[in-house]
Amino acid sequence: MNLELIPLLIIVLLMISAGGADVETTEFVIEGDHEITEHRGALIVGDATVTVPADEAVSGPVYVIGGEFRIHGTVEGDVTQLSGSLVVEDGATIDGELQHIGGSEELSTEATIMEQTTVAFESSEPSPIAAYTPIVLTTLILAVVGALLSRKHEPLLDNVGAAAKDHPLISLTVGALLSVTFLSVFVFMAFTLILLPVSILGLLVGLLIIAYGIIALGYLAGQQLNTPRVGLATGLGVVVVMVLLQVTGVIPILGDLIAGGLLLTGLGAVVLTYFGLQEFEPVSLPE
Amino acid sequence: MKLFEFARERQWVPITGYLIYVSALTAGYYYNLTFVQLGLTDLGTQKIGMPPGDVSIVMAILALLTLVAAVASGVLMDRRGWSTDLYVKFRLLFLVIFVQLLLTIAAPHVSTIEQFVLWVIVCSMALGVGIPVSFSFMLDFVPVRDRGYVAAIVAGLSFFVAALYPIEWRIDEFSLVMSAMMVPAVFVLAVLSVKRFRFVDSLASQHKRDTFGTGRFCRPIPVRTVSFAFWGPILLMFGVFFIDSLGFLRIIETPQYIYTSWQSPDLSVRLFIAVLHVIGALAAGVIYTNFDRNWLFFWVFGLFAFTHLLYVFHIQFGAGDTPPLVLPMFYVLAVSFYTTLNFALWPDLSTPETIGTHTALGVGIAGWLATFLSTSLALYSEGVGLSLLNHLTYVNALALLFVVALPVLLYVHRMVELARGGTTP
Repeated sequence: MNLELIPLLIIVLLMISAGGADVETTEFVIEGDHEITEHRGALIVGDATVTVPADEAVSGPVYVIGGEFRIHGTVEGDVTQLSGSLVVEDGATIDGELQHIGGSEELSTEATIMEQTTVAFESSEPSPIAAYTPIVLTTLILAVVGALLSRKHEPLLDNVGAAAKDHPLISLTVGALLSVTFLSVFVFMAFTLILLPVSILGLLVGLLIIAYGIIALGYLAGQQLNTPRVGLATGLGVVVVMVLLQVTGVIPILGDLIAGGLLLTGLGAVVLTYFGLQEFEPVSLPE
Repeated sequence: MKLFEFARERQWVPITGYLIYVSALTAGYYYNLTFVQLGLTDLGTQKIGMPPGDVSIVMAILALLTLVAAVASGVLMDRRGWSTDLYVKFRLLFLVIFVQLLLTIAAPHVSTIEQFVLWVIVCSMALGVGIPVSFSFMLDFVPVRDRGYVAAIVAGLSFFVAALYPIEWRIDEFSLVMSAMMVPAVFVLAVLSVKRFRFVDSLASQHKRDTFGTGRFCRPIPVRTVSFAFWGPILLMFGVFFIDSLGFLRIIETPQYIYTSWQSPDLSVRLFIAVLHVIGALAAGVIYTNFDRNWLFFWVFGLFAFTHLLYVFHIQFGAGDTPPLVLPMFYVLAVSFYTTLNFALWPDLSTPETIGTHTALGVGIAGWLATFLSTSLALYSEGVGLSLLNHLTYVNALALLFVVALPVLLYVHRMVELARGGTTP
């Protein structure tokens, strides 16, 4: 599943939850081509192409968060589009409200739509300054937190950094396993709706651990400056790591692998050292 | 890794040992995954036309006979000192592979129930003897430091190949290919059985070195056969194998799930599964080498519980669609994890004096007995018309039970130790 769908999926599940729909009848179509002729409850269109054939009617609400949703027949309920593509063909009918928040839409003038609203956002092509502001802000926050943490609790970062530096393979393996497993578990939890808060909390904690990992990697990078001002060195190191993550992201596939590997190594090192509270030592084996 | 050290120092004999071990175990496990596990069911149900219930009984017989043969040969190997005699082990392996070659050639010609039962009995004897012989090679060829990684390579490679070939199961064709592959192995082993070589002499004495002979969990005190330290892992591994086979057989026989399983006609899906097997096995190798083994057990049970939860969820709410690949992904990870553990664990719970018995009991009970009992149970549940949803719910319940039981078992064990006055963790 496309990882970018996860935030949208959680938003949709929150919307379904708020709307009082029954989760047991909610269907999430993740991939492939599908013709839907019969459906009850909420329908979420992910990375798939979902078509409602002519002369067929499906019940809503329908949420489009990716892929393509084509209506030839009738949707008996609301359609909300957050991303992806929505095509409403000639003679198609939406009996409820069509709410367009994001993504591309193609609406035939011959289609019947009961009510249509558009939630307008700022221009989708932000200026370079606007585009980089979140990254710069994140970098600054991490650098400041890293500087403070290294001045007040240097041993914590020292332990995490040592695990990442001395045991990168173990850190990467643990980081990768934890992220794959817990990401799936949290998405799965979100579907139960009752565990949705736990799922959101879990994802936030995961992001915090990744941030901690970046700070620890920044601390390691800062040590190369050979300066007694550990706070300044860590802050600069965090900036270097963040720039590196951005630059590698430009290279297709390999860049993503490098960036992902760095983040997962940091995550693994944080977990292995109990957030830096103890040194990580692998089990002792005979040499 | 110790292997890199050997390579740096140009010590080619120990490196040859790694190669022999990986080749022998990979080929053996591949044969087990394909010809024995899939072939036996196919032979009984499709070729002879036996009802699934009857095949399940024959499989249970195979399991029991394999266990008996394994334990008998393992104990005999230890008592006679064959476990530490590499030449004897080569001779035994030659016999095993020669019998398996004959069985492979004979398989397409089996046409009656009597012939099938006879085939199964001989097969179980060969398998039983093969278990302590092949698993105890680790003592001779792989130093303790590298056992996790080497086990990972064996598990990853055999699953990788098995996921990609055969694409379509045809016993005639597969029998021919397997026989052709086994003939050179039989020839090499025949030569090694009768002629002495200097490099084999050198390999044969490696178990006397501190880095090779005594298993990781036998230091400083060897694990006794009658002890919690030995039977605890057997119980856990039994649970792992049982859960896997119980779910696997029903999943791959459900048309909806065939497309995202080992049996998928889509090559890209099979390639995805094959690559994931390798990645999973390597991850397991890293964890086994650097952490306490209980963490690996915990991961395996956790992964199985989550996997079956996903399958149960998909059966209930998936509306009959082809499932997303995340379902087989977790399944594959769990299987690769425990298979890696299975290759490394039993030799690491053994000394040169106990490796025959311990590998026979470990692999025999935890592996064969559990696999075939659960396979029989899966066939039985299919035969009595138990729905896939109900079946997987039971499997999931079992996996969850083990997830909970593992920490409880460890905690209680520690309590018992403390009550007896022990202080060391």
